[in-house]
Amino acid sequence: MDPKRMIGRIAFGLLVLGIVVWAVFPFAWAIITSLKAGSALFTVEAWPSQPSLANYAAIFKEQPFGRNILNSLLAASAVVALSLGLAVLAAYALGRVRFCGRGLLLFVVLGVSMFPQVAVLSGLFELVRWLGLYNRIGSLVLSYLIFTLPFTVWVLTTFMRELPKELEEAAMVDGAGPFVIVTRVFLPLMGPALAATGLLAFIAAWNEFLFALTFTLTDDARTVPVAIALMSGASQYELPWGQIMAASVVVTVPLIGLVLLFQRRIVSGLTAGAVKG
Amino acid sequence: MAGVTLRGVRKSFGRIEVIHGVDLEVADGEFVAFVGPSGCGKSTLLRLIAGLEEPSGGDLSIGGQRVNDRPPAARGIAMVFQSYALYPHMTAYDNMAFGLTLSRTDKGTIAERVRAAARLLQIEDLLDRKPRDLSGGQRQRVAIGRAIVREPQVFLFDEPLSNLDAGLRVQMRLEIAKLKADLRATMIYVTHDQVEAMTLADRIVVLNAGRVEQVGTPLELYHRPRNRFVAGFIGSPAMNFLDVVSEGRADGSVRVWLPGGVPLDIAVDGAAPRAGTPLTLGVRPEHVGLADGGAGLVATILAVERLGGETHCHAALEDGQRLLVRLDGDRPVSAGERLRLNLRGETAHLFGPDGQRL
Ligand SMILES: Nc1ncnc2c1ncn2[C@@H]1O[C@H](COP(=O)(O)OP(=O)(O)OP(=O)(O)O)[C@@H](O)[C@H]1O
Ligand SMILES: [Mg+2]
Repeated sequence: MDPKRMIGRIAFGLLVLGIVVWAVFPFAWAIITSLKAGSALFTVEAWPSQPSLANYAAIFKEQPFGRNILNSLLAASAVVALSLGLAVLAAYALGRVRFCGRGLLLFVVLGVSMFPQVAVLSGLFELVRWLGLYNRIGSLVLSYLIFTLPFTVWVLTTFMRELPKELEEAAMVDGAGPFVIVTRVFLPLMGPALAATGLLAFIAAWNEFLFALTFTLTDDARTVPVAIALMSGASQYELPWGQIMAASVVVTVPLIGLVLLFQRRIVSGLTAGAVKG
Repeated sequence: MAGVTLRGVRKSFGRIEVIHGVDLEVADGEFVAFVGPSGCGKSTLLRLIAGLEEPSGGDLSIGGQRVNDRPPAARGIAMVFQSYALYPHMTAYDNMAFGLTLSRTDKGTIAERVRAAARLLQIEDLLDRKPRDLSGGQRQRVAIGRAIVREPQVFLFDEPLSNLDAGLRVQMRLEIAKLKADLRATMIYVTHDQVEAMTLADRIVVLNAGRVEQVGTPLELYHRPRNRFVAGFIGSPAMNFLDVVSEGRADGSVRVWLPGGVPLDIAVDGAAPRAGTPLTLGVRPEHVGLADGGAGLVATILAVERLGGETHCHAALEDGQRLLVRLDGDRPVSAGERLRLNLRGETAHLFGPDGQRL
């Protein structure tokens, strides 16, 4: 191999290495830290000399962390189900039905997602109180829809527009109404788009912090990000880093699992999605 | 079974009118083909009948019932699309059964009808395959099967064979002919393939720019085109048109002068045009003969195309007008040669200045 190519390869290898370290280091650091106990926290080492799972046990003992995970799971699942359901119906209208003001409506939907969360916070708070949802999961589901719906609607509308018109017309000749067309003809073809947008919505809801902090009060109603942020040590001046890291690892693993699970569906769906008759 | 009647049917997209008032009567059990140049409104007219487009004016009835306000499924029609439009996630069986499932037909009847249609189309072995595992011809059969299973009063086909390769197209054409005999249903068939139209149709509707130019049996259109457009559209290779001048009437026919001073008498129905009126003479390439003797139209061959079974000679007359002549496959002719041509009044057509047949 001539030296020029050799250098090129090495440089490329280093670049890849740099990117991998940059991407993986924070997470690796979290895992390592979570395995350290007590004062070992403040020594720098590649792998703890006495790894222990004490932090993991502690997070479930000292607060209702299991309950928090369940809350997050419920809220995120409900958000995914609701936003996909609503978005599919909206996408049919926005993607397939010609009506006046369609473009404007699409931009309004997009515009909603441009407000920073704080801007709508106080208004939403009043709404949540008025609906009697304060300190309940319902308040989170309602507020999360604000940021999941715009992009699910947009992605699914774009996808639905690409589906051949003749498919819809064939179904109409077969006697299908709009609801049957959406649920029995289009929905089965939208697997990849549903998996991708559903996953993104799930992650967004799972990690959301500000609304969850504002709309919940008690430990029992909290979701994971808030619970982690509010973990406190023995004294006011002590942050339980080990436990925070352990909690972060616990809640990240399911997400990675989900991505890996659906990744195959997304990819296989995209390649096998030969929609053309 | 039922006929289809169109009365003054119009269709505009926005401000542009693409169908300008079509009147048409399709009899019960008849096979009618729509032909015409691309963009003339064939598909639009078919979709109006199907109910996939709403007419901007006029009345549409199927089986004597006005159907303007009925959705496609309630019109007793079935449509076969150019791109098949099979549901990709369903098996061939489910594709064919979908319409019946939606109308809550009982399972036994569905199975019976699907199997019967599959037998007719010889796709019984393919029923549990998905569309992506079928070849183009097989997909087209499933699409036709889906139409048959609904037992419609009227079948609508929009260029059903145009996505198939030439060999398969011939085979499917024969199958559609067989289907037509077996089902005895009313069929409306859009195509841009003349052979399909000529061989399958009982009657052909020639459309041009959203208007019906002529409706008639294939041979009527071939032998008695109503105007210059139909004359040029039907027949392949296309008819030759020559500019000639009328010399007036001579006992039931019009005499015209061909370039080079050759006279030709052509029988006409209408009133004879005054002497001196410029007319168009139409002659099909297969009706141009070679003159035996010294008399006849003199033409110089510009190019020769040999197709094996026949030979096409592109020729120029003395005054420069072009003429295509169709000769036998192995006629020894070559470019630059001079021919003496013989036109016959019985096979020539005469069109007035407005393009209408005289
Ligand atoms: N949805 C539509 N909106 C606007 N114009 C349309 C629409 N559908 C068809 N047209 C126009 O109507 C005219 C007729 O179209 P149509 O599809 O019926 O032609 P066609 O005869 O089927 O042509 P082809 O042989 O190419 O299929 C065309 O000029 C086309 O541009
Ligand atoms: Mg068309």
